[in-house]
Amino acid sequence: MSSKSSAAQSGQALWTKMPKANAELFALTYGSLVTELVRDYEDPIEVNAQLDRIGHSIGVRCVDEFLSKADVAGMGMTTQCQSLRDTAEVVAKMGFKMFLGVQAEVGGFSQDQKSFSIYLQDNPLSTFVELPGDEQGGSDDLRRLKYSNVYCGVIRGALEQVNLKVECNIVRDTLKGDDLNEIRVELKEVLTDGAGDDYKEE
Amino acid sequence: MTVHALHIFDRKGKTLFTKRYTNSKSTPAQDAEQLSEQRKLIFGMLFSLRELMGSLTPEGETPALHSVKTGANTLHCYETLSGLRIALYTNNNPTMNAVGSRAGVENSRTSFQAALKHIYSEIWVECVVRSPLYRPRDIRVNEGEGMDVDGGEGRFDIRSTNFEQKLDAFLQSMPWFR
Repeated sequence: MSSKSSAAQSGQALWTKMPKANAELFALTYGSLVTELVRDYEDPIEVNAQLDRIGHSIGVRCVDEFLSKADVAGMGMTTQCQSLRDTAEVVAKMGFKMFLGVQAEVGGFSQDQKSFSIYLQDNPLSTFVELPGDEQGGSDDLRRLKYSNVYCGVIRGALEQVNLKVECNIVRDTLKGDDLNEIRVELKEVLTDGAGDDYKEE
Repeated sequence: MTVHALHIFDRKGKTLFTKRYTNSKSTPAQDAEQLSEQRKLIFGMLFSLRELMGSLTPEGETPALHSVKTGANTLHCYETLSGLRIALYTNNNPTMNAVGSRAGVENSRTSFQAALKHIYSEIWVECVVRSPLYRPRDIRVNEGEGMDVDGGEGRFDIRSTNFEQKLDAFLQSMPWFR
């Protein structure tokens, strides 16, 4: 596909335009957020859900930021995203690059082209992080914690804003000993535009 | 004055922001009612026109609606992929339109499309989306003076950001504002 390299270039261009924050500060802030959630909710499943919810709110905002920046840079998104394949490229090569400075890879498309995987070689969120291992027993509950689950929420929120309802899941995690991070994204439905209740009420 | 009003709608047709630049003679209450009727019609028209264009545009090309011109006024609109629609209601400005068509509307720095794009990316995103209080789908609409929607407690109010000031400053800096 021709847009493969151009998406990466665009991502690079967007990244240079973004204001930068210290990566360590970022990782540590996220770490303390997760710790706080673990302390508050105790149940890792609930923590995952909360992280997803937080991510969703982030994603809903990110998408406007992304669209406005990308649009100004002269990259017409309307022409770029004709299929889910293109969308996946844009999310991984431009979105991840723009906000996190890392480039993600796309792959693992399903037969019906409705789901794909995003592979992250290095995960800026998990710098300095170690999850309690098996041998420590006791806290074995924490192994169900999806530390970077905020990504899932972000992707879900951002795509929801452009009318794609997706479900995301972290299937491989370097924190759990896998060799890379894999986020599985599954397209549930393409929402249609329509006048909502607010319009009818008004 | 060239600019009559500016409306911002979300995907569902909910009004997120509205401001009128020309004075009207009617009372504020009447005015608000009139404005809300007008907004409804504008959104309805934009929505239907887009549907129509979607079916008229040849495959592989992007349908895009830039403006709707009538005998007396022009409605300029800009739609983002996230479903935000910005509609700017102005009168027909012959000089501006001539300049725009000669210089190529897209490229002219002061063209309406460029201005609306600027409003979105530099003002809306900067002031509203980045506001920590911003909660999508939970925006309180200012319906003119003293016409707040009831039950707006705890909702995000655009007046708490400096969106309006920046917007005014930007519009006033445009050569076609007056």
